[in-house]
Order: sequence, then structure tokens, then C-alpha cells
Amino acid sequence: MKSVIWIFVLITIALLGFGLYQGLVVAPTEQTMGDVQRIFYYHVPSAWTAFLLFFVNFIASIVYLWKRSAGSDAIAVASAEVGVVFCTVVLITGPIWARPVWGIWWTWDARLTTTLVLWLIYVSYLVLRRFAAGSQTQVLSAALAIFGFVDVPIVFMAIRWFRTQHPSPVIGGGEGSGLDPTMWHAVLWNWLAFSCLALLLVMVRYRLQRMEETVDAAHAQLALQGGGR
Amino acid sequence: MSGAVALKAAYIVTWVIQLGYLAYLLSRYRRVREEMKDLKRSS
Repeated sequence: MKSVIWIFVLITIALLGFGLYQGLVVAPTEQTMGDVQRIFYYHVPSAWTAFLLFFVNFIASIVYLWKRSAGSDAIAVASAEVGVVFCTVVLITGPIWARPVWGIWWTWDARLTTTLVLWLIYVSYLVLRRFAAGSQTQVLSAALAIFGFVDVPIVFMAIRWFRTQHPSPVIGGGEGSGLDPTMWHAVLWNWLAFSCLALLLVMVRYRLQRMEETVDAAHAQLALQGGGR
Repeated sequence: MSGAVALKAAYIVTWVIQLGYLAYLLSRYRRVREEMKDLKRSS
């Protein structure tokens, strides 16, 4: 099993390197923005990976409320935390890209604001998990995760529903939208690489969560034994 | 900020966040594993 994980780690590293090469070397330079447009190859795959992780969190939270299994709760925590990491990348690379192109770091348009709200929802989820005590913490956080996920389709649709500073969709945006095939390859390779990295991080975080639960249970057992003497 | 600087900054920030999180997870993992070993010894 360990060798399989190490092979997967090596594949992920290779994919990250290949994605970097695709984004910086193979993809053509965009005519209007120039090289700064290459931020797209990290910004967009990070957003898609975050959405995917929040979807996993949503499903795991439903399963937890249904079955009350510790495994699904651990998957929910792990995917939310890794999702916040990727969403943070989106919220930082976006303004870095915006500054030279728009002349501003940030604007309160629909896409940017809903993305910030999404990040805040999942940070609240993690704060709840970290600081709330009692048997209802998992139930409350699962409920928050289910309602919080409503913001994901709103973020996705924001540039379709509203007139925004953020560019219109180049992927699935209807007539006149689209990408050069080489640009597509760079986006998809980086998304594959980030998804593999996210899977690895979720696996480590899941294992950590289960180990922490074991340690907490052992401490509680010891405290009970000590109190009984 | 010029385009080239922004491009480098965005890629570096991405790597720092991802690798920083991985390092944080691994250090937490090591700490919990040590704690588990200590609990096994004491029980």
C-alpha cells in the first residue's frame, strides 16, 4: 500500500512539473494581456479544485447526517480544509493578476464578492470545528457545510448572471467564447496536477483527523480511569 | 506592478501556500504519531 502511495506522490510531482511547463512554455502568449495572462493556468484550476473539494465536503456532510459515521465526518473536514487552501490561492492570484490588467487589486463585483463569501463560509466551518465543544459540533458543521455549498453554483454563475469587472466566461460561455487548444491543454494539465495534489492532501488530512480522534478518545479513557481511582 | 513580476509572484505564492500547508500537515502528523506512541507506552 505504501509503495502505491509513493508512486502516486511521484506521479503528482511529475504532473505539477509538466503543468508548470505547459503554463509557462507551451501555451501561447495572449495577445492583449501578454505573459501575465499565464496566471490563468494556476488561477482557474485552483478554483475548479476548490469547487470539487467543497462538493466532496457537501456530499460527506449529507452522508454524515444520514449515517453518523466518523469516516464521512473526517472526509468532510479534510476536504473543507484543503478546499480553503485552494480557494486562498484563487483569492490571492486573482488580485495579483488584476493589478497590472485592471489597474486595481480588488473590486466588489459579483464574482469576486461571492468568492470571498465562499472562502469566509468555509473558514467559519473550520473555526467551528476547531473551537466548538460538545457532541453537536459535527451535526452543526455538517448543516453549515450543506447550506454553505449553495454559494458554489452562485460563484460559478456570477459572471453569467451579472455584469462584472471579472472577464466573461471563456469556457462554456456561449458564442464568441473559447480557448486556443494549447491553452486548453495547459488548463487541463494543471487541473489534473492540482486535483492529484488535493487528493494527496485530503488523504493526509483524513488520516490525521482519525489519529487525533483516537488520541482524544484515549485521553478521555485515561481521564476516566484516573477519576475512578 | 509589471506583468512579469505579477506572473512570478502569482506562481510563487501558489507554491508557497500549497507546500506550506503540506509542511504544516506533516508536522502535525508527526506530533500526533509521537503522542500515540506515548499513549501506548503509558497504557
